[in-house]
Amino acid sequence: MTRLSTIVLAAGAAAGLALVAMPAAAQESGAVRAAIAAGTVGEKADGYLGIRGQVSGAVRAEVDSINIRRRAVYTERVAGRPVSVEQMAAAIGCRTLATRVQPGHAYQSDDGTWRVRGEGDPPPTAANCPAL
Amino acid sequence: MLTGVDQGASRGGMTTVRTATMAGLVLMLGACVQVQAPERPIEINLNVNVRQEVLLRLERDAEAIIEENPELFPQ
Repeated sequence: MTRLSTIVLAAGAAAGLALVAMPAAAQESGAVRAAIAAGTVGEKADGYLGIRGQVSGAVRAEVDSINIRRRAVYTERVAGRPVSVEQMAAAIGCRTLATRVQPGHAYQSDDGTWRVRGEGDPPPTAANCPAL
Repeated sequence: MLTGVDQGASRGGMTTVRTATMAGLVLMLGACVQVQAPERPIEINLNVNVRQEVLLRLERDAEAIIEENPELFPQ
């Protein structure tokens, strides 16, 4: 009886969590997209997303979550290879700066300063990035 | 009298020899060069910067990561 009710409770909780988690994630990535368009969130040369200025707690949480998952993917990718996670992340940074940053978007260059790509500006790059 | 002097001298000599021997031992012990292997291998930090050739090698990996994980690269 107790075991059965525990199972029912666990199943119910799992279903409830799934219901709550799915739309929240979808909403958050929409919020991050809007923040990128607004220039308050942007790609960094180190291969992670960064926050520039004031953002909501939800946006901050989603940026943190994305960065944690990015790091996990980079780590997995370099496992067993003579490549550091930082090197992999920097290679991502080269690519995101060059291909993701649209005019009006903010980005952080490798010297740590935030810039906004202007209309007609070439895609940004960082020191040591190979030419695309 | 003479014998006594001789004995005294020889006693003094013995003490000198003993002292010299002790000093020699101490010197020898002190002179022992202790060679100990370092606990950690010697690290030589060359350029910490990620060099262009490394980034060039990782270009395809970066591209694949972004393509395979679109949810991590919103735009």
